[in-house]
Amino acid sequence: MLNYFDPSQYRIDPDRDYGTPAQLSEKAVALTIDGVEISVPEGTSVMRAAALAGITVPKLCASDNLEAFGSCRLCAVEIEGKRGYPASCTTPVAEGMEVHTQTGKLAKLRRNIMELYISDHPLDCLTCPANGDCELQDMAGAVGLRDVRYGFDGANHLDAETDASNPYFSFDPSKCIVCSRCVRACEEVQGTFALTIDGRGFDSKVAASQDEDFMDSECVSCGACVQACPTSTLMEKSVIEEGVPEHSVVTTCAYCGVGCSFKAEMKGDQLVRMVPYKGGDANHGHSCVKGRFAFGYATHKDRITEPMIRDSIDQPWRTVSWEEAIAFSAKRLKDIQAQYGRESIGGITSSRCTNEETYLVQKLVRAGFGNNNTDTCARVCHSPTGYGLKTTIGESAGTQTFDSVMKADTILVIGANPTDAHPVFASQMRRRLRQGATLIVADPRRIDLLKTPHGSTSMHLPLRPGTNVALINSLAHVVVTEGLEDTDFINKRCEGDAYKAWRDFISEERNSPEALEAETGVPAEQVRKAARAYANAGNGAIYYGLGVTEHSQGSTMVMGIANLAMATGNLGREGVGVNPLRGQNNVQGSCDMGSFPHELPGYQHVGDPAVRERFENLWHVKIDDEPGLRIPNMFDAAIAGHFKALYVQGEDIAQSDPNTQHVEQALTSLDCLIVQDIFLNETAKYAHVLLPGSTFLEKNGTFTNAERRINRVRKVMAPVAGKEDWEVTQDLANALGYPMNYSHPSEIMDEIAQLTPTFTGVSYAKLDELGSIQWPCNAEHPDGTPTMHELDFPIGKGHFAITEYVATPERSTRRYPLLLTTGRILSQYNVGAQTRRTENSRWHEEDVLEIHPSDAELRGISDGDWLGVSSRVGQTVLRCRISDRMQPGVVYTTFHHPGSGANVITTDSSDWATNCPEYKVTAVQVEKVSQPSEWQKHFQSFDEKQHEYLEKSKDESNFALK
Amino acid sequence: MNNELHHLIEMINQISDNNLHHGEAEHAADMVATHLKKFWARSMKDQIIAYAESDGSELNAVSKLAVEELKAWRQAKAS
Ligand code: SF4
Ligand code: SF4
Ligand code: SF4
Ligand code: FES
Repeated sequence: MLNYFDPSQYRIDPDRDYGTPAQLSEKAVALTIDGVEISVPEGTSVMRAAALAGITVPKLCASDNLEAFGSCRLCAVEIEGKRGYPASCTTPVAEGMEVHTQTGKLAKLRRNIMELYISDHPLDCLTCPANGDCELQDMAGAVGLRDVRYGFDGANHLDAETDASNPYFSFDPSKCIVCSRCVRACEEVQGTFALTIDGRGFDSKVAASQDEDFMDSECVSCGACVQACPTSTLMEKSVIEEGVPEHSVVTTCAYCGVGCSFKAEMKGDQLVRMVPYKGGDANHGHSCVKGRFAFGYATHKDRITEPMIRDSIDQPWRTVSWEEAIAFSAKRLKDIQAQYGRESIGGITSSRCTNEETYLVQKLVRAGFGNNNTDTCARVCHSPTGYGLKTTIGESAGTQTFDSVMKADTILVIGANPTDAHPVFASQMRRRLRQGATLIVADPRRIDLLKTPHGSTSMHLPLRPGTNVALINSLAHVVVTEGLEDTDFINKRCEGDAYKAWRDFISEERNSPEALEAETGVPAEQVRKAARAYANAGNGAIYYGLGVTEHSQGSTMVMGIANLAMATGNLGREGVGVNPLRGQNNVQGSCDMGSFPHELPGYQHVGDPAVRERFENLWHVKIDDEPGLRIPNMFDAAIAGHFKALYVQGEDIAQSDPNTQHVEQALTSLDCLIVQDIFLNETAKYAHVLLPGSTFLEKNGTFTNAERRINRVRKVMAPVAGKEDWEVTQDLANALGYPMNYSHPSEIMDEIAQLTPTFTGVSYAKLDELGSIQWPCNAEHPDGTPTMHELDFPIGKGHFAITEYVATPERSTRRYPLLLTTGRILSQYNVGAQTRRTENSRWHEEDVLEIHPSDAELRGISDGDWLGVSSRVGQTVLRCRISDRMQPGVVYTTFHHPGSGANVITTDSSDWATNCPEYKVTAVQVEKVSQPSEWQKHFQSFDEKQHEYLEKSKDESNFALK
Repeated sequence: MNNELHHLIEMINQISDNNLHHGEAEHAADMVATHLKKFWARSMKDQIIAYAESDGSELNAVSKLAVEELKAWRQAKAS
């Protein structure tokens, strides 16, 4: 007998559709299908059981990522002892059942059904974009349909009009068979509820929202419906234009920290579409608009395709060979070090590049430059996570898998906006909320997650920007003083003395919700309710984002979160935990790989001689025992004149870092700026060397997502300029006289595994075998570690840290009465260099300033007005959008477009422990204006000039070719 | 005073404020000194020590103690 314990990933083929979702029951049920005996978990459908036994039952409305619906009846079977022809997708297995899937009667029935479908379906298969990739076609073949008795003369839907409003997919209702897979995908998989079936019987049809165009509807363009559609009704435009792909490669999305797995579906070296991969453990076959559709930037005409150099930034670029560009860079770096000393140069690794590339850049800095001046853009987002979690629970990483949220009873989301920034995980969260979990959101804004259609409780704690620590302290105060602690966990798992000190501190009346209400603006009773809901839930899980870290007390807040989780025993099993939601694809990885100036890979401090010795033995070089400069320190040192050269791989510090004018001053102070990027980004405009970068489609490597999952990135096309990014770093190291000789990124990973205790078991072979690995992966955890801290913490016992609330110096004043907070939106990604070069811009053409109606009224502002926004460091002009998502007194914007200059106004106020900038709080004034700010005018002319310089170099190299 | 130094002073004072609990300056200074040892670059340490020696007026009480400790650690390390 075949014994299936579904869903064992090892036997399930992610490329096959088993018809209905897996069941998790441990009770097995045995039955016979077409004479084959099989045992499956209780609750499994007959259709799935048949598929597991290798028997395919025809189907149209079923798909294994959707609950069975039972509308097409094509999957009818015969069951002994039962009358009629039950639908196998909606019939659960029963002990001893005997099923027949192929009988004469069934064949006839299925042919009749198909005939009805086909009679209202255009027969233009040969010219249909889905030709060769259509389930309707397949089923017609499978049931042996040979003729259609009904003509097309009766009423039909053949001339229904196509909706092509969405830039990425079209909706051709004439091909629709009303199977409702799209509607269910939108509800169950995505959680948006944008689609409905309108009307009944023959008149029924699929409609987006209130019968609007897709573009005008609530649709967020995730593409789940397109993927679910068995016909060409919902179809990628790229497939319509280019035809059905012929091969595919599994790889990882390069946008956000969810790290979705995709099949890159190709025609030769041309990418036709990205289809989320069901075998991906982070996304289980779902994706968002960025990963699925916004890949066009890879072949955009703006790509930098040749190395370029120039002596000063007032000169046009000169196109040169790789050899010349590398030699030029190496000479400049060496000359500068000779003149200004070993510590006068540094490098910045990228949270968008692979682990291997990041590792190599920091190695180049530490071994090749001979100092520790390496940092990464995680400095400006999650460095407080590293500090805070390491201090309290001993490891700088989220404690759970994404799937763990399906066991959470209360979900506490702090300073994060998952539906926009981590959309696929948000869909999973919403699924759990629909099952009844309680939601608590602590955020100045009313985020969209609160609008999830579901029946459970949700609470919003709309705190004032900058008062996070006051809020977390008051939550913990309630837990301690109302006796909601998990004393068992605390006694067993945490340091006694630190706990006692913390307990005394947090119990003080000044930390009560009543005492802090005036600070946070959140009514004490709401705080008490929320604390009880979190502490009394069987499983309480915390998810947090940049709204926690990007504050002057970012690190304190992270410690406060860890304290709260420890006090309630919400660590060390599924359904609980402390989970930083990482912004960019490889923020976790870039931190793991030793990008920070004080830590070698694996968070090992440079001051530890034993650690240094291991690296020195393998790298054959002496490592500096003092930490290097962090990004903001580099800027200060550059302006002061003792930091002179910087190598930046795949980052855009000129746009993403706060106080733009200060950054620009620092960059212009450099004697040599080497930028390696796929576009002429804002930073590159200040560069002396521009090295072409490669996209994730053009290289091999790995990314590590927010759940510590190491995923493979696989090359599907050649790099446009001939080199993967790690090769460029290697060339530069060699030119500097520090030899590197890797022939493939897998060799870099092998070196990482040798030096990083949490990576000792990681290799490309193992990644290929397991699909992905969650670190730590070593002798103790050979297949990786889905849930951390199950038995103890890496520092032994958990450490409660005292979290005094220190108000930020950045407060509203009479001159700057409003607080500006910044964030992200779904369709754009970070500085937008990639997404702005795709149709995603249709959803977000410019950054706007959101302002509350009462603040607008006070200033006589209306929607669409140009607003001057000024802080103590700068001014910019943005268009106004009046919105009540914010509280009065708080304004909001995004920084996806460089010209909007959101960061001209953000200040250099930063987290006390890590210098992570306080993007989330800037005191500003807003007023109506009629022209762009001085900075914007300067930006405009500088931008034009730099593009001219680039164009000139292109003309010249074209000329040279002729 | 140059901007870089000005910034370093702001930073150390902020670190001190965040580690001060119930006015226990000595304890806070230990934490601050440890912090500087672990996270500040050599040039940053040099500058703040030089400033404490030459002027130091803008350092708060905890920061002053912390720089003393840092200096002692530095000297011990050098010898
Ligand atoms: S693209 Fe996504 S959000 Fe839009 S209708 Fe389809 S499933 Fe719903
Ligand atoms: S659009 Fe596609 S998925 Fe939706 S009902 Fe029609 S055929 Fe089915
Ligand atoms: S951007 Fe994030 S959620 Fe969207 S597909 Fe990529 S990894 Fe997944
Ligand atoms: S597949 Fe079972 S009823 Fe459609």
